[in-house]
Amino acid sequence: MKKRHEQKLVVLSLILFLLLNVPFILIFNISGQVFGIPTFYFSLFSIWLLSVIISFIVLRRHYE
Amino acid sequence: MNNYTLISIIICYLGVLFFIAFLAEKNSKSKWVNNSIVYSLSLAVYCSAWTYYGSVGIAANSGVSFLPIYLGPVIAAPIWIVVLRKIMRISKQHKISSLADFVSLRYGNNRFLGALITVVCVFGIVPYISLQLKAISETFEIMTDETSYVSKYIFDDSTFYIAVLLALFAAFFGTQSTDASDKHRGIVVTVAFESILKLVFFLIIGVYVTFFIFNGTSDIYNKMSMTPNFENLTKIDGLEAGFDWFFMMMISFIAVFLLPRQFQVSVLENNREKHLKQAIWMFPLYLLLFNVFVIFIAWAGKLTFGNEVNGEYFTLLLPLQHNNIFLALLVFLGGFSAVISMVVVSTLALSTMVSNNLIIPYGFLDKFIKGQPDKNSIYIKNIRRISIFCIIITAYIFYINFSIELSLYSIGLISFVIISQLAPSFFIGLFWNRGSSKAAIIGIIAGSFITFYTLVLPFTIEAFTGITDFTNHGLFNISVLKPYALFGIDFLSPPAHAFFWSMSLNVACYLVFSLSSKGNYRERNYAEMFVDSRNFSSLQDSALVWKGEAYVSDIKNVLNKFLGEERAQRALSLFFVKYKIPPNTQMADARLINFSEKLLTGSIGSASAKILIASAVKEEQISLVEVLKILEESKETIANNKLLLEKSEELSILALKLKKANEELIDKDKQKDEFLDTVAHELKTPITGIRASTELLIDEDDMPSEIKTEFLNNMLNDSDRLTRLINNILDFEKLAKGKHDLNIRQNSIKTTINYAIASVQQLAINKGVSIINDNLIDFRFSYDEDRIVQVLTNLLSNALKFTESGKGKITIEYKMINNMFEVYVIDNGKGISDEDFEHIFNKFYQSKNQNTIKPQGSGLGLAICKQIIEQHNGKIWAKKGNKNGATFVFKLPFN
Amino acid sequence: MKKKILIVDDEPNIVMTLEYTFKKQDFEVYIARDGSEALHILENNIPDIVLLDIMMPDVDGYQTLKYIKEQDSLKNTKVVFLTAKNKVSDIEKGLKLGADKYLTKPFSVKKIVSEVLELLN
Repeated sequence: MKKRHEQKLVVLSLILFLLLNVPFILIFNISGQVFGIPTFYFSLFSIWLLSVIISFIVLRRHYE
Repeated sequence: MNNYTLISIIICYLGVLFFIAFLAEKNSKSKWVNNSIVYSLSLAVYCSAWTYYGSVGIAANSGVSFLPIYLGPVIAAPIWIVVLRKIMRISKQHKISSLADFVSLRYGNNRFLGALITVVCVFGIVPYISLQLKAISETFEIMTDETSYVSKYIFDDSTFYIAVLLALFAAFFGTQSTDASDKHRGIVVTVAFESILKLVFFLIIGVYVTFFIFNGTSDIYNKMSMTPNFENLTKIDGLEAGFDWFFMMMISFIAVFLLPRQFQVSVLENNREKHLKQAIWMFPLYLLLFNVFVIFIAWAGKLTFGNEVNGEYFTLLLPLQHNNIFLALLVFLGGFSAVISMVVVSTLALSTMVSNNLIIPYGFLDKFIKGQPDKNSIYIKNIRRISIFCIIITAYIFYINFSIELSLYSIGLISFVIISQLAPSFFIGLFWNRGSSKAAIIGIIAGSFITFYTLVLPFTIEAFTGITDFTNHGLFNISVLKPYALFGIDFLSPPAHAFFWSMSLNVACYLVFSLSSKGNYRERNYAEMFVDSRNFSSLQDSALVWKGEAYVSDIKNVLNKFLGEERAQRALSLFFVKYKIPPNTQMADARLINFSEKLLTGSIGSASAKILIASAVKEEQISLVEVLKILEESKETIANNKLLLEKSEELSILALKLKKANEELIDKDKQKDEFLDTVAHELKTPITGIRASTELLIDEDDMPSEIKTEFLNNMLNDSDRLTRLINNILDFEKLAKGKHDLNIRQNSIKTTINYAIASVQQLAINKGVSIINDNLIDFRFSYDEDRIVQVLTNLLSNALKFTESGKGKITIEYKMINNMFEVYVIDNGKGISDEDFEHIFNKFYQSKNQNTIKPQGSGLGLAICKQIIEQHNGKIWAKKGNKNGATFVFKLPFN
Repeated sequence: MKKKILIVDDEPNIVMTLEYTFKKQDFEVYIARDGSEALHILENNIPDIVLLDIMMPDVDGYQTLKYIKEQDSLKNTKVVFLTAKNKVSDIEKGLKLGADKYLTKPFSVKKIVSEVLELLN
């Protein structure tokens, strides 16, 4: 019933939900830095940016 | 900076905003106002002064916990494609004007539930507005360097004036129409504009702090890492902090749906579903960009100021510290923009709820029924405007009295937790049709009570009396009732803790009470509609779930009172036309009831509309079973009928097509036979000549050599003729079949004519016939050059055939008439006899009155010319009235 | 006495071969290029046999035959259709209209000669 792009986005949401919470988030809970950005923040922002890009691609592909 | 300078800057800025809003209202249909970027940016009203200043404070003092407030929306955004779209569709269908309207509609237009939700929202949002005002006043103070920021007298306090101005803005642009479900383009565009400004200014200050005050991100990191407790700022502090993190995320996930301002911009102000697509990725991107520099500003502030000043205002203090007044001003304006958008949209949303769900249903309804339509509409608008002012004034009073104690961050969280009490009835209600209104009410009340006990109460008591007994020992000294640690759960921060308990109780009550009682039939109807919104739209208007008696005139009276006689009459006429009901129908049916309710909903809210219409009709209750049966039956019948009709239509169309195709085939067949016959006939003629001549040559030994030579020449001619004939036939076939075989290109007519002349030049010279081409002007247009050369050559050779040797003259002329290009081939030869005239363009016709001249053509030449010209959409004919020869003309469209 | 033959056909090449052939057979040969020419000749001459093409401009072979059949003076003149129209229906039509023989193109010269001679005897 749901279209494929809808399913993809819902799955993206679920993955984000899992990834951004304990216990998964604790994986990134280490000291250190990348270009002056602490690892935790860096990984978080990367996941965040990735999800934006994936949403963009899924939506672009569907409505082409 | 001077007090007055800043105030004038603020006033100028507000002026710009007014102007933008005004322009947007004027051009409300234009693409600049109605696009997905404006929509996505308007969603950024989520970022208020809390984001602008509060996050930095948290990042400086407690580390990562400022982030989950944005991660909730990031997780929510992809799901919007399913959830938000459903909400938008339902809202559009029912002209929903507020969050309370939406939820109360789901639960059968329950008036009490609508009022309850309004109260919860007011309690949740008013403190939030006041903290925005607090941010304004504090940043104002910082900018102008005044020491006392809470003035004794209201009239001395610039914040008061700003609050009033905001109320004016909201009132002006928000209450233009009585129908609250109308879009407020001006406000939305202003919000979008402010979203751009606040992001850009925040990024500017981020870049400035990171790369100009310090030497980049690594520099700040290294310097910061030397301070004590640095580790805590960069990580989650263990499993318990992880739970906090989780609950914060849940709270913000709910907030992005249920905050009145978010519901307003994302659902109510949306007018194109497809804008949602862009928002799904643009909004999280916006949030990301906003948050990128937060830690660096926070740390830079920490490094510069240590613990002396309030971390929340580092964004402002840092540029001021470095005497960069301009940048500080930008930051101030950015924060100001954040406040404006939040306050205006929230007050608008709240005032609509207050007027439609609180005041009108419980107060003024009687007044309405008696009053005049014009007055009614003014009444409604005024109630809304007064609500706007009251809300802002209340927020101001709250700010004056309570704000000293509060940090921006903590108030914001309390606000979110209060609003999230609406979550179970909202979300579960969207997908589960057994959720009942009773359960929703009980759940909300229970959850709010817990929130009050665990969050509001302890804090208030401590703030005002300084007594910490309650907090530390619980109610009546019962330790499991400690407000921050109910039943021993003490590892969560107060908001998370409150959220956890209130949500658990809320959801539990909701589920238990929904399952234990059956809802009434009307509620179930609405529930079905919400949960299964996809299938419902076709059933809506004709859902026969109401058995009662009503007169059209009664309903019309009610409509007249609110819409005015003219509009009501118009709407009813449209309704009657649409459903093909005679206009003088006496009794109203269910469709009219639904329709009238919807009409009124925009003006006075769905609960009130229902009450009014109900007052006009007498209702009979029918059982749920009957309802469902009717629904099922009508669904099936409609579907079946439709299917049958479609199928039979398809079949009859198909039959017609078949018949036509058959007739065409028969006709084509006949044509083909005729053509083949003619071709065969024409081919046999030269072959007969060849065969007879050959036979004679073989048998007659004593044939005189002149006759022999003549026969041999005849044979040669006939062979050539045969070849020509075959070629022409093939050519003709190709032309007749392929309509698209023309190679149309822009060509020069002069060149084309020259080609044609060149090909017959030798023959002309041999025969002593002159070809005259005096045309000077060249024309370029589209045609197939080879084919037109063929036509011209054909016409020229015909002319050559029929002109006298030595005296013959062929003239070629052309001209443009009526967008058609005409070419004339005129000769002074034998001309065309009247009897030939009709037939010359027919296949295989040859002018036989040639006495001495043997026919050299195939009879197809002119027919082929005709084909070619007609394929160009042109026309070819022979001109009558030329006594001294023949004139052939063809015209082509001039492209 | 020389036999008279009228050849009616619009194709010069074919007419030439027939003319040569029948002149060789010692016939007096008259030539018409179409029906109206033929009728013109028939006003003043009575040939023994007419070789008649059908597809001709102006007055065609059928009409010419009809005219011949109507003329009392021509009641002894044999008429032979010599045409490329060779469908069974055409042949039936031609014979029904009163032609004495129906010959098709392309033809063998020898055959034509033998047919003509046979008819005249």
